[in-house]
Amino acid sequence: MDNKESNMLVIQVGELIDGISNDTKKNISIIINGNSIVDIKPTGELAIPTGLDYKLIDYSDKTILPGLIDSHVHLTGIGDGRSGDQLAQLPDEVLSINMANNAKKHLHSGVTTVRDCGAKNDTAFHLRTAAQMGIIESPRLVLSGRPLAIIGGHLSYFGEQITGTNECRAAVRYLIKQGADFIKVTASGGSTNTSFPLKPSFSQEELNVIVEEAHKFGKHVAAHCHNSESMVRSLKAGVDTIIHGVFKESDGTNKYREDVVELMLKNNTFVNPTLAPGMMRVKIMENKKNEGNFSESNQEEMDKVLFEHEYRMECFNKMYEAGISMSAGSDSAWGAYEMGNFFLDIEGHVAGGQSPMEAIKSATSVASQSCWIDDSIGSIEIGKLADMIVLDESPVNQIENLRTISEVIKDGEFVDRNNLL
Amino acid sequence: MSEQKVVKSKWLLDMVSDKPIEDGAVIFQDGKIKLSGHYEKIKGKIHPDAKVYDYKDKIIIPGMVDCHTHHNGFGDGRSGDDVGLIPDDVLTIQSARNAKTSLYSGVTTIRENGPKNMTMMRLRDAVNSGLAIAPRMVLCGRPISIIGGHMGYFGGEVTGEDESLALARQLIKEGVDYFKITATGGSTATSFPLRPSFSKSELFAVTNEAKNYDMLTATHCLSAEGTDYSLDAGVDMIIHCNFDHANGESIFDPKLADKIIEKGAYVNPTIHVGRARLWSLMEGNDPALGGFENKRMGSVSINKDRKNILDARLDMAKLGLETKLDHCRKMIDMGVKVITGSDSSWGDYPLGNTVHETELLVEAGYSNLEGLKSVTINAAKALGLDHEVGSLESGKSADIAILDKNPLDDIKNLNSVSEVFFMGNCINRGSEESNNSYIQKSPKV
Repeated sequence: MDNKESNMLVIQVGELIDGISNDTKKNISIIINGNSIVDIKPTGELAIPTGLDYKLIDYSDKTILPGLIDSHVHLTGIGDGRSGDQLAQLPDEVLSINMANNAKKHLHSGVTTVRDCGAKNDTAFHLRTAAQMGIIESPRLVLSGRPLAIIGGHLSYFGEQITGTNECRAAVRYLIKQGADFIKVTASGGSTNTSFPLKPSFSQEELNVIVEEAHKFGKHVAAHCHNSESMVRSLKAGVDTIIHGVFKESDGTNKYREDVVELMLKNNTFVNPTLAPGMMRVKIMENKKNEGNFSESNQEEMDKVLFEHEYRMECFNKMYEAGISMSAGSDSAWGAYEMGNFFLDIEGHVAGGQSPMEAIKSATSVASQSCWIDDSIGSIEIGKLADMIVLDESPVNQIENLRTISEVIKDGEFVDRNNLL
Repeated sequence: MSEQKVVKSKWLLDMVSDKPIEDGAVIFQDGKIKLSGHYEKIKGKIHPDAKVYDYKDKIIIPGMVDCHTHHNGFGDGRSGDDVGLIPDDVLTIQSARNAKTSLYSGVTTIRENGPKNMTMMRLRDAVNSGLAIAPRMVLCGRPISIIGGHMGYFGGEVTGEDESLALARQLIKEGVDYFKITATGGSTATSFPLRPSFSKSELFAVTNEAKNYDMLTATHCLSAEGTDYSLDAGVDMIIHCNFDHANGESIFDPKLADKIIEKGAYVNPTIHVGRARLWSLMEGNDPALGGFENKRMGSVSINKDRKNILDARLDMAKLGLETKLDHCRKMIDMGVKVITGSDSSWGDYPLGNTVHETELLVEAGYSNLEGLKSVTINAAKALGLDHEVGSLESGKSADIAILDKNPLDDIKNLNSVSEVFFMGNCINRGSEESNNSYIQKSPKV
């Protein structure tokens, strides 16, 4: 082999979290050739044929794990608290700049793959073009383009309002033609002003067609569900991921529905519980309270926020205990959740009852399965693409140590986390 | 009031006096310069809580002013026609990246000469929303062109006085700062580089409207006749200023140069964009043919193999560069107001390398000091912004670049930027590696 052409990297790590096993492995060498992991061995057993040129990196005192996969982002969001309705009023070009900033920010924070759950018009596809042209640094992009919404439905301001099975079929085909990797559908209302969060939006027939058409082309479907009936319809239609998964009846009462969970289990449906925004709402209220000047109505609001959050955490715990696959996905930079803070969502999974290892899996291997990309990423295994992050401290007993990131490797290359271009 | 800041160093080139000031300092607050000069003389005015940046033996200069940029571009040899095909969203992302490149390289003011549709206006929106950072931007919206004319693909094609006036008014409505008109063809495949494009009356329609609002105008001119028309119409800056004639000859015309002087127009000769093409060809690249080359290469490319075509293009690029340098030298000798405008990222010339153009103005006869002025105070004058930028004097924007090496010793030392202040803020330029990534080097021969 010509030494100059060798692109081999040997990384010796103190601790390996491969994203699949429940145990860690100590003192491991990972061999990367180009963008692929070609071998993994205990450091002592590694024998590299003489004459081979390679670069050795010593992380004996560090932990390595798969690059994080955030299965729910809105790169279009700003995270400064503005509503989606306000966001959508910005020109596409301005949103494009924002998406490019966010892609870089998330990558630098250790997220090497994102599933983007909805952006305005063609901006998501144009972001991909920019990444392919090498203009921007970006995590791997799993894109939905525009979310499918009913007229006035949640995220309908992003440009895809459709009615009836024929328009649903056409919209799926058109998005796939534009390069969509999956279909995002808002099966219930949400924060959108003109939508109804407690009511399902699309009919059963419409959802059936959307899923049928997407699956026909090998694309998966993720459905935004803010009430139980929308989950029932989505699950009957064969949706692959339920997003938010809020158990609420159409009159607003909270009721955990075993029948819905049964359907999820039967279909092997993933749930992306989006816990961080609720945790942040609680935190914001707590901070406000600590600052003083906390009125009675503030307290009422805080009680409500706390009540809803605790209910969401309780449902999360029940679903997880029932055996549902939980896919971590931040929902940033929606609302007030800034990009680059995916660890908050993973910490939420631990707060909800998962062990740190389970939570890490929910943000690596499980997330990759939910995004239908587990053939190439989501774990540190021979044959997988070399997307990895290096931590100064082990997160096994302390999930907050995901914040001690020191290096990000994508496609076998170290990301310059101080590249501000 | 924000915190007062002070930069001090061994040498201050304030571009007010022609002499470097030893042990100089600049005091600024709220983005504006309060005082600059010899440290000992002004130190009494420094607030006790001021943040002091002591650069020891480095050189303080005003942030640079580049009168001619294309932030949509890539500088990788692709043609403008190809850039015009890229979606606006992608071009806006590219512009945001290029704007950072400009700023990190020490350029704190740019005049944009030809973006597509609303892309640069949208970048300005993003800057105003805090979503992007960029140098101070003087924007034309999009260039005004005839049908099929140079840069017509950027969305500003008009015909006749009324349409020209209407587009000028539309651009004002959109918030542009000046008008860029392509008065002759250029590299655009469907345009005719050796011919004027607009009639004089069409040019007048735009320049009259500009005068009405105290706005400046600049015309792209390859054909000498286009320059002549532009001067008659009262255009303030002649860009490229080739002395090309319809028969393909490029012959310096002292009478036309006299007319430029008489009219007081600035000239932005754009020499390096041609040298960048030459460098690219020397490295064995095969960059896209522009319309200009197409028309001259047309006969060559038939029945010739690739090597011969490349050789012919090399010869053409060499000749073009020599001619440009010669004509620029003559203009400088005669006293034409020649300033730096890089034309990057057009063709093979990536942004972040404005100094390459200044270097060639020095090669064409400017002293190092005159070269430095051409990319600071004189460029600011050409843009009508000398009340705000271009020199380090009280009341002006605190736009400052810190250099490791003195450009009065060698103009190339303008490349040694190690820190940039923009509107009083010290810019975080990121890793050294990322800042080296945009530097264009001459090919090793």
